[in-house]
Amino acid sequence: MADNVQNPGTGGNKPKPTGSGGGQSAKDQSRAASRPVAAKGAGGGKGGNTPRPGRPAAPSGGPKNSQRGVFLAWGAVAVVIIVIAVLFIVKATSTSTQDLSYTPVTAAPAQVVKDVTTVPLSTWNKVGVTSQIPVTKPTVIPGQPPMTLNGKSPAMLYYGAEYCPYCAAERWAMTTALARFGTWSNLQITASSHTDVDAKTSTFSFHGASLDSPYITFQGVEQYTNIPVSGSPNQYTNLQNPTKQEASILTKYSSSKFLPNASTSGGISFPFVDINNSVLFSGASYDPQILANLSWTDISSGLSDPTNPVTQAILATGNYMSAAICQASKGQPGSVCTSSGVQAAAKALGISAS
Amino acid sequence: MSNLRWQPIATLLLSVYGLGASIYLTITHFQPKALACVSNSTFNCEKVTQSPQSEIFGIPVAMLGLVFFVPMLLLCLPAAWRAADRRIHLARIGLAVTGVGMIVYLIIAELFIIKAICLWCSSVHIATFLLFVIITTASPIVLAPGYGTADEALADSVPS
Repeated sequence: MADNVQNPGTGGNKPKPTGSGGGQSAKDQSRAASRPVAAKGAGGGKGGNTPRPGRPAAPSGGPKNSQRGVFLAWGAVAVVIIVIAVLFIVKATSTSTQDLSYTPVTAAPAQVVKDVTTVPLSTWNKVGVTSQIPVTKPTVIPGQPPMTLNGKSPAMLYYGAEYCPYCAAERWAMTTALARFGTWSNLQITASSHTDVDAKTSTFSFHGASLDSPYITFQGVEQYTNIPVSGSPNQYTNLQNPTKQEASILTKYSSSKFLPNASTSGGISFPFVDINNSVLFSGASYDPQILANLSWTDISSGLSDPTNPVTQAILATGNYMSAAICQASKGQPGSVCTSSGVQAAAKALGISAS
Repeated sequence: MSNLRWQPIATLLLSVYGLGASIYLTITHFQPKALACVSNSTFNCEKVTQSPQSEIFGIPVAMLGLVFFVPMLLLCLPAAWRAADRRIHLARIGLAVTGVGMIVYLIIAELFIIKAICLWCSSVHIATFLLFVIITTASPIVLAPGYGTADEALADSVPS
């Protein structure tokens, strides 16, 4: 301020004449008001808290203009807030009234997770590989180097898509089988496409889910969501691309060299499951039709009943997967790998699970 | 500057965050695999950053973010906030208004055209909005006659 320059050596604490408000700028008044009024040593009762004499009021009429500026500024902020709020309200209103063309991915209910991850050993063993619903055996490819993913071996790679009904069926078997070898986290539920065959098949999504296991490294890749692309009902939005390492494995082992029924056009059929480059599952092991109109709870709650046809299909497939994982883990853990259900699957595949 | 104690540092931090996020989003625009983000039916960064709306006149929106935050960061340096030159403050205000206009467009695009929300983008939107709020509400101070003059600076240096 000019007055400070004109009073060299006074400093901020030197008592100043107690000027009236008329000689102060708004700034000075604000400064004075914000300071605690307390004795600060010698120099009169007001000490350093006394407002300095201000410079003459700004020629533009200061306070009025300043007040108008403040109103304008906050008015602009309010307008922006209202515009953004209206956008979100319109969106929320329109979403709540429209029929979703897909099943959103949501956290799996605790009971569903518990049911699929704690299938009794007795049920696994009673089912073995026997199922009223036909279950396709996987392809065994001996003599290949063990799979390494992210520097870890043995490993298992799943490649599928959330919209795919065959993947939906296969995930039930994978989820139950892998739970025997480790602990799942972030399992989420969803359903296959609403417009494809076997529409709305209840399932999990492996996108974002992880398995913590000392026996096998599992990597699940969901290439697409179940969300249709606008105007293209048979196309779905991209979700997750395989890494270079994963793509290399997929390209090699999904070829007709290893899978007699592989597509000759070079595409990879969903789902594709490679367990340590020794056992391959291509396509669904059982017909997803058997899961029609069944909720996640319907399916999971039946998993302790070995006479349930759906349970038989899921656990028979799961025993094949378990046998393949046991072969990769060299029979670990023994409680799983020496069980009669896994041994039956290993025998059917002609592999050693222990 | 008595009424601008926290605004300079707050806007500087927001600008630094916005710049960092814009750099990240620019990289992931060209390398989608590098994008780490939640993906579900509501949030899907990749869907947003790879959408047709992610480019304006062929320029990635994330890159426009860089073009926005680099000058904003400079204009939010404490020295710029103290400047006596009104043009600096007007430029800052103009840039903030442009930024908030852009985020309104991008929110419309995400909610109604792409139908997915990118969390990274949203964090940049929030930073831009907060910049707008702080800069706009500080404008009556920095545009006041006599603001930022040498004597003003001296007054601020006076201990109270």
